[in-house]
Amino acid sequence: MEAAIVFYGLSFFMTVLSLGVLFNPNPIMSALYLVLTMIGVSLVFFMLDAGFLAGVQLIVYAGAVLVLFVMVIMLFDLKREVYTFSRGFFTRLLKVFTGVVFLIILVKSFFLVPETKELLNSSTQMTTKNLAGLLFTEYIFVFELLGLLLLAVAIGAVALSRIKGGTHAE
Amino acid sequence: MGSDIVEISINAAKALAIFLMMVQIVPMLVWVERRGSAFIQNRFGPNRIGPLGLMQLIADAVKFLFKEEFLPDKKRRLLFLAAPIIALIPGAVAFGAIPLSVPIHVEIFEFLGQSWGPYRFAFQSVELGIGIVFVLGISSLAAYSILLAGWSSSNKYSLFGALRASAQMISYELALGLSLVGILLIYNSFDFAEIIAQQQGSLAFQFLGKDIVWSFLPNWGIFYQPLGFVLFFVAVFAEANRLPFDLPEAESELVAGYHTEYGGFKMNMFYIGEYGHMLVSSALLVTFYFGGYNIPFVTPDQVLAGVESFLGLSSTGSSVATAFLLHGVFLVKVLIFLWVFIWVRWTLPRFRYDQLMDLGWKTMLPWALANTILTAIIVFIFRTQWV
Amino acid sequence: MASVIAIVFLITLIALFGIFLVWGTAKLGPKIKQSSLKKSSYECGIEVQQSGHTKVPVKFYLTAILFILFDIEIIFMYPWAISFGDAITNGYGAQVLAAMGVFILVFIIGLLWEMKSKALEWE
Repeated sequence: MEAAIVFYGLSFFMTVLSLGVLFNPNPIMSALYLVLTMIGVSLVFFMLDAGFLAGVQLIVYAGAVLVLFVMVIMLFDLKREVYTFSRGFFTRLLKVFTGVVFLIILVKSFFLVPETKELLNSSTQMTTKNLAGLLFTEYIFVFELLGLLLLAVAIGAVALSRIKGGTHAE
Repeated sequence: MGSDIVEISINAAKALAIFLMMVQIVPMLVWVERRGSAFIQNRFGPNRIGPLGLMQLIADAVKFLFKEEFLPDKKRRLLFLAAPIIALIPGAVAFGAIPLSVPIHVEIFEFLGQSWGPYRFAFQSVELGIGIVFVLGISSLAAYSILLAGWSSSNKYSLFGALRASAQMISYELALGLSLVGILLIYNSFDFAEIIAQQQGSLAFQFLGKDIVWSFLPNWGIFYQPLGFVLFFVAVFAEANRLPFDLPEAESELVAGYHTEYGGFKMNMFYIGEYGHMLVSSALLVTFYFGGYNIPFVTPDQVLAGVESFLGLSSTGSSVATAFLLHGVFLVKVLIFLWVFIWVRWTLPRFRYDQLMDLGWKTMLPWALANTILTAIIVFIFRTQWV
Repeated sequence: MASVIAIVFLITLIALFGIFLVWGTAKLGPKIKQSSLKKSSYECGIEVQQSGHTKVPVKFYLTAILFILFDIEIIFMYPWAISFGDAITNGYGAQVLAAMGVFILVFIIGLLWEMKSKALEWE
């Protein structure tokens, strides 16, 4: 009963906040709403006793990715770049494509409800140690691949910051 | 927060008390900082109001309250007012998640014709099994108040102060996070209470699968992680934006950094945030490397037994007495570190910005990585049964 | 479950305390009619010369991105670190150590590459 009240309260606030992300005309306020939504998601993870995931949600999403967003929006004058990225055939195509993908994920997640219920009722306790066990035995290949992916992204970011031209040239 | 009215109200009062403790320690630290700096620099410091100038704290607080208010243009006013409030949250919530003493066990008792209990009250406002990850996550939110303050002030000094502060904080967060991996490798837990429990008594470790006890040293984390301690200690200074890493508010370049446009109690709230950060950092240093609330060589159970036989209290009473005694030990350790923070501030000069970033990325990060690898290999060799 | 309520309660408490103080100082402070000079941002006594467009070095952006990447790598070491002791007692410590060794090797290669390519230089 108590859990249900907390869960629905959190869900309500998160829904309101995500609507704020979409409909607030000021990009900074949008980003800040997104931060609050992420904190809400982390609280939901806490509720499910997935403490490590909740912490990761806080450290990586709220504490790192969105700090970058807020920093970039506040400090770099991006009006022209935003304009170029929100017009044109290719960007529209990309928008429609991502929209469809997310719709598919949403519809699919409704069909996963029975499985999730089964998982909740089963007695296996998912601890951080179990997570690590899975990561280093069954998913070891994916894990190492992820290291390489992060390396590639780092090299890409450095290369991107070196580019001369575009709106930087002016 | 509890199953009945007594438990809920005590937990709520406890959360309030721990938060007020954090707020309360700030004016005292400001006084220590001013008197201490005067002592270090051979001056008097504030000594006019009250004995030893102690009433200066109250005079400052009252003066802060009655200051004229400045506000920027309308568009940014909401964020301008929100920034100092947000500055309070990371420090206070993180402090609430650190155990300050052993939990108090209350036996069944009669009150208003009803029997209550038994209860177990943790000596912290938020009890979590994954405390370390939670504290790191909450502390990483500290960048927002700085960014918001800098941006909403619409002043270039504030903006550049905020930019520098956030870049510095995120750079040292890496070294901070990585230097803790060594501690996690040794104690194998995210739980503060469990880490402290593993630090009780005399130094004991496994060597090639055999148990070895060195009874001349306390069982503290610093003896397992000396390099990790140094790295964590330095990173914590940078995270709290203290000298020698106070580039965000380098007066000669940036006036006062991100809080240039703030005055009165709003500025004071940034100070509460900063000193709160210092308090959390000292508490973490004590918890990871100096045995937390443990008295050296003595376990909390022995303290409880001693209190029980010496004072002759009931089970509940001796539990309360033990908790407060160990809390006193914890506070003494924390206060020593708070003094070190102040001491360092008046001893070392400020870094240059490129030196600061070099130290973070090219010195601290590789050393923290080396510490992790070394600890992992040593733990592997020492704990494996090689037969 | 109980911890979520405690966290939310604590944050509410702090926020109320902060709002009360900000509101209190606004009410208690002297009301002086503010001139346009007083309202302008602080600029060492000269006219404000700030335009809306501030140029910020791209360096800060690069630092933030590299921070995110390294932060994710460090996060992966946490579950490894706390499960390592159990892995040793269960006899597959060497395997787990090797797995993380490869990951850390990639980390070191990334760090060295960034140092060599002068991505971490501040002039």
